[in-house]
Amino acid sequence: MFEPYLMGLIPLLPALAGLVIFLFGPKVLKEASHWPLILACAASLFIALSGAYSLTRLGHEASFSHHAGIWFATGGTHPVVAGWDFRFDPISGMMTPMVCFLGLVIAMFSAGYMHGDPGYARYFGVFSLFVASMNLLLLADNLILLYAGWEGVGVCSYLLVGFWFAKPSAAKAARKAFLVTRIGDVGLLLGIFLLWAGCDFQLDLHTVLEKARQLPEDYIYFAGMLLFIGAMGKSAQFPLHVWLPDAMEGPTPVSALIHAATMVTAGVYLVARFLPVFSRSSSLLAFIAAIGCITALLAALIALTQNDLKRILAYSTISQLGYMFMGLGSADGAASQSELVTVAMTAGMFHLFTHAFFKALLFLSAGSIMHAMHHVIDIRKLGGLRHVLPWTHIGFLAGAVALAGLFPFSGFWSKEEILKSLDLAAHRTDGHPDAYKVMTWLALITSGLTAFYTFRAYFRVFWGEEVIPEEAHGHAHESPTSMVSQLLVLTPLALGIGWYFGYSHLLEHYLAKTHGFAHMEIEIASKSWIAITSQVLAVAGIALAYVVYIAKPALDGLMRKASGPFYKLSLNRFYLDELFTIVLVRPFQVLSWLIHVLDRELWDRLVDSVARLPAWLGDRVRPVQNGLIQFYALAMALGLTIFLVFLAFGDRLYR
Amino acid sequence: MSPPGLSHYLVIGALLFVIGMIGFLTRRNMILMFLNAELMIQGVAINFVAFARHRGNLEGQGFFLFLLAVAACEAALALALILVLYKVNNSLDISIWQNLREDDMDPIVDEEPLPAALPPETAPKLPVAGTEPAQEEELSHV
Repeated sequence: MFEPYLMGLIPLLPALAGLVIFLFGPKVLKEASHWPLILACAASLFIALSGAYSLTRLGHEASFSHHAGIWFATGGTHPVVAGWDFRFDPISGMMTPMVCFLGLVIAMFSAGYMHGDPGYARYFGVFSLFVASMNLLLLADNLILLYAGWEGVGVCSYLLVGFWFAKPSAAKAARKAFLVTRIGDVGLLLGIFLLWAGCDFQLDLHTVLEKARQLPEDYIYFAGMLLFIGAMGKSAQFPLHVWLPDAMEGPTPVSALIHAATMVTAGVYLVARFLPVFSRSSSLLAFIAAIGCITALLAALIALTQNDLKRILAYSTISQLGYMFMGLGSADGAASQSELVTVAMTAGMFHLFTHAFFKALLFLSAGSIMHAMHHVIDIRKLGGLRHVLPWTHIGFLAGAVALAGLFPFSGFWSKEEILKSLDLAAHRTDGHPDAYKVMTWLALITSGLTAFYTFRAYFRVFWGEEVIPEEAHGHAHESPTSMVSQLLVLTPLALGIGWYFGYSHLLEHYLAKTHGFAHMEIEIASKSWIAITSQVLAVAGIALAYVVYIAKPALDGLMRKASGPFYKLSLNRFYLDELFTIVLVRPFQVLSWLIHVLDRELWDRLVDSVARLPAWLGDRVRPVQNGLIQFYALAMALGLTIFLVFLAFGDRLYR
Repeated sequence: MSPPGLSHYLVIGALLFVIGMIGFLTRRNMILMFLNAELMIQGVAINFVAFARHRGNLEGQGFFLFLLAVAACEAALALALILVLYKVNNSLDISIWQNLREDDMDPIVDEEPLPAALPPETAPKLPVAGTEPAQEEELSHV
């Protein structure tokens, strides 16, 4: 039986590993610096899996909780109590094993990928802290603790994106990632405060979830909106998505772990946790779904024309995260039927789960390509690599079919759930059914686009004429076993995990046991038209990619010409970065220049003049020190006289 | 004519003190300044003794003895200092010594300078006792 106090070890062990690596890594462990992390991840994975297994044998709303002490607490009538509270329920029970497992696989992959890097120990130290923070975020039963984990992953992400900080683009990308997510973090913090004030100054997550349901709808709307802004920042939703593509400056395994599989899902996790509360506000959920939909479509459109393989994957991640939010948002109008909230939550979380595996696989494959091609990642410079990199080819293909949502691979099952949930929302009388009808169709179109851009990358890199960039100096070779074996571990999982959990609805029943969600009595029947349409679109996308990039390469130029301005728009990422520069960055620069001038010309001078006053006074008084002994004696005598006069006649003065 | 009372002594003491003080502030010869300081001390001493007499106890008298001892020490020190200072500048003028002024200040110069110091008088040098003074060599050896 699972012991609740073991839960604390899940974040603690990687944190200790990080400590060990930072203390002994650079001098003692050196090229063995990855071992503490691997051991900690394995141990955490074991604990998390045993906890998850224990949960399956318990009934509805079962969870383990453990209070390991108080972190800090304030007194007074409005106390802020941050305790080391941990809770292990089905949602955490799905996420923590996933994080630990992917952390383990990617750590082993990184051991090969980062081999020989001067920052080897630093890399694994920060990696460990990342796994620790992520687990803390997932297990925290206290909003402050959750926020601590949330910021922890943000810092680790910053450190890893800027891992090669000597490269200006990496340093810039790290700063951008940190600042953009920070906008979201402010929202999250304000949302936490709003909930704290609304829920009798409680910060325990389960208490807050319980009490927040009784809050008025407007209150939930505002608090939920603030929390969702936090989720938008961390999960790269439009318009705060701009940091994620730039974050690809970090080492590729980092992109696989942080910017594809785990950290960016923190926002989805947060919204899923609060879904029973959010479902009380229809407009909030419609907003979440709409943002998800815009993000999914926009990112897919941008991904169509990008030439950097990692950026294509980054935009597909953004797009899939949008999908997840669409799924969660489809709980709109289901307040009276709480089973449907559960359907929406499980759909979003299921896609999160499958996506984590196949996106990690895709990124690791991309990392393997980069490793072999000496860090060339431009798909125009690559081609026909399927003979040079046979194993990587298999891994990438598996990830691609899963991402494209081909039956019967992972993506199909989870996307299906989301589409189904969206369709349910479109046929409800409450909420915004019309909006959801549009979203269902946009989601379907997006899945077609996804298939196209994924296979565009696949065909360009692995098929056609063999093109190996000059940077590889003619010794392009398959990556070492330590890396390839990780791809082979992930391949069956990426392909089959959706079928295993989707066909049997195991994960859904498991997740539905989470406290606050209604138990699913009814089985939601699949609608065949959705499945067929999505399959047709996916196959059409793949076929189009095949025709354009393999069969008739001339079509590529033709398509570019035909699409004209849209091509340019997509290639330049809809000019969103430029828009941000004009709307946000420039005004800030003007403001900071103004403040700089004010500071220099006004405040500094004021302060300086205060400082000059004693100096001026000193100049006036200093001549007294003229060195003449008799002058001193005279001053003494005069002083004495004044003193004596006061002594003798002072009482008369005061009278 | 009544015998002198306390106030007479106090007036004498105050007069001595003020005379000494004025002298101290106006004279520039170090030795004279020193003597004026002595005068001030004596003015204070008279106060002590007068109060002791007036009150009929010995505390003032005792203090006066201390004062004498201190004044003697002070005299030894002050004269030694004056001697050293004189050796440096060959002058007893106190206004030569302005070294305690601020660095960036010009020294204060008299509008009417003192007459130039006399060259040091050469005292006759006696031989070390016990040795015979050198004799002029006699010219004739008859």
